[in-house]
Amino acid sequence: MAIASTTTAPADTAAAARLIAAEERGGARLTAAMLVTPATILVAVGLLIPLVILFRYSLNEFVTQRKLMVEAVTIANYAKFFTDPYYINVLVRTLRVAVTVTAICLVLGFPLAYVLARTQSRFKNLLLMLVVLPLFVGSAVRAAGWMTLFGSKGAINATLMGLGLISTPLEIMYTETAVIIGITAVNLPFMVLSLQSVIENIGRDVEEAAFSLGAHPLAMFRRVLWPLALPGVLAGTILTFILGMNAYATPVLLGGPKFQMMGPLVYGQFAGVNNWPFGAAISFILMTATLLLTIAANLIVQRRYRR
Amino acid sequence: MTSSALLDSRRVGRWALNGAAGLALAVILTPLVFVTWLAFFRQEIPSFPPEGYSLRWFAAIADEKKFVDGFSLSLQLGVMATLIGLALGVPAALCVVRFRFPGREALGSLLLLPLMVPGVVLGTSMYVFHVEAENALDVDVLGTFWALLAGHVIIVIPWVVRLVMASLAGFDRTIEEAAHNLGANPVTTFFRVTLPMIRPGIVAAGLFGFVTSFGNLEMSLFLVGPGRTTLPIAILQYLEWRIDPTIAAVSVLQILLIGGAMLVTDRFVKISRVV
Repeated sequence: MAIASTTTAPADTAAAARLIAAEERGGARLTAAMLVTPATILVAVGLLIPLVILFRYSLNEFVTQRKLMVEAVTIANYAKFFTDPYYINVLVRTLRVAVTVTAICLVLGFPLAYVLARTQSRFKNLLLMLVVLPLFVGSAVRAAGWMTLFGSKGAINATLMGLGLISTPLEIMYTETAVIIGITAVNLPFMVLSLQSVIENIGRDVEEAAFSLGAHPLAMFRRVLWPLALPGVLAGTILTFILGMNAYATPVLLGGPKFQMMGPLVYGQFAGVNNWPFGAAISFILMTATLLLTIAANLIVQRRYRR
Repeated sequence: MTSSALLDSRRVGRWALNGAAGLALAVILTPLVFVTWLAFFRQEIPSFPPEGYSLRWFAAIADEKKFVDGFSLSLQLGVMATLIGLALGVPAALCVVRFRFPGREALGSLLLLPLMVPGVVLGTSMYVFHVEAENALDVDVLGTFWALLAGHVIIVIPWVVRLVMASLAGFDRTIEEAAHNLGANPVTTFFRVTLPMIRPGIVAAGLFGFVTSFGNLEMSLFLVGPGRTTLPIAILQYLEWRIDPTIAAVSVLQILLIGGAMLVTDRFVKISRVV
């Protein structure tokens, strides 16, 4: 790892150049191994081994009085999670928020993805950048934007009160609605980009064919566009769902301390109460729930696809 | 249905479509617009409508040590993680695309794995790994700069592998053969033919790697040590406490930095081709 991380880019491109030479000399396999090994070792050591250790930790015991982890093999941490209504509630809330956000993203994202894919405008690249830019700005900054809107003296309440529509400010901050709006805005670009790349590869002529055969736009969408865009729908839905399940900054900032979701719950166990075994178990429950639902979505769509 | 009714419904459909697309774009951009607006408020309390406008909050950032230090750490991490990620990821991508060997697909998936594992899980697993490494090696690991950097390299690698693999997929190898037949040696061929052709992929990989590292929050939360905070974490911690024009000004600077990086990248490779 130490050697790998001191490799500089020029030395590396020279190595890649040697690859082509070696390939011809017949030492291809050895060169291939040399090229791919450093990255592989780093990812394996830096990610796979930690995941195994994390799982091992989740089977350990935690002595509350002394705030100490004791080595053991027990499923007590998992049992604790699934027998306490508080934690089940957090999991259910997280699932509910993630599913709602994903559905809204699909409904809102499809039209934008379609327009972006089909537009001939010279502003297309600019529009795409406007979609991509927020993606990289970070969810904390975007949550700050919503905070200026949602607060009791924020833009929404000030406007509504100024218009005389309400007399007391609406409670928007620290509600599930605020969190859902916030995560939707964070995840929407992912959905739009997943859909846009697939729609772009669907020929305009299949749509025109449907129209010339007298199809209503809605029928064209349901019978032609949607089935062809299904791979993009699936990719976007899965990505959005995973990101919704694992949201951190948005629920912390827009939901407040009382609104718990799985991501902040894990952090609290590690940083707050130092209960590593329980934190590790919640981490695994979160990952497993996400994976299972992702696989289920895959299977359902594949079955419908074949029919 | 008569044909004019059909045309009417297509026109209505187009209006509805554009309206819905506009709404989606508004949802994406609204938070950025409002945080930018707040950065120019004269009063400190974020109440609407503003009492007036001022630029003083941008000057105030320089006095907030947490943001200056956070920015500097995030910048160092981003640049170093991107360079190391490119140095490791580009040859790995070349290898996975060019060679046929057993376990090739599994290897490709492994290199993309950090993109699939949720940030919180990445953070917790690396945290316990650092604890174990510290116990085994008897040196400081947890919370050190190098441990944090290793984590960032791991999340940069999948972007590099993915984008370089994509740019190699459409690569016409007969051009390399032509160069070879014309007497170019392999080193010349690589630098004069292969590298220029995959340059857009490498530039895009560098940009995506950098912004991924620079903006990472969830994983870094678990890996930062005392007195060492990245910019996204500093922003989060400040916002947990209060929202005011100072934090909005910091956000605006971050938006400008990332927007600038994207515009520069767009000159090398069209954004629409890489996302």
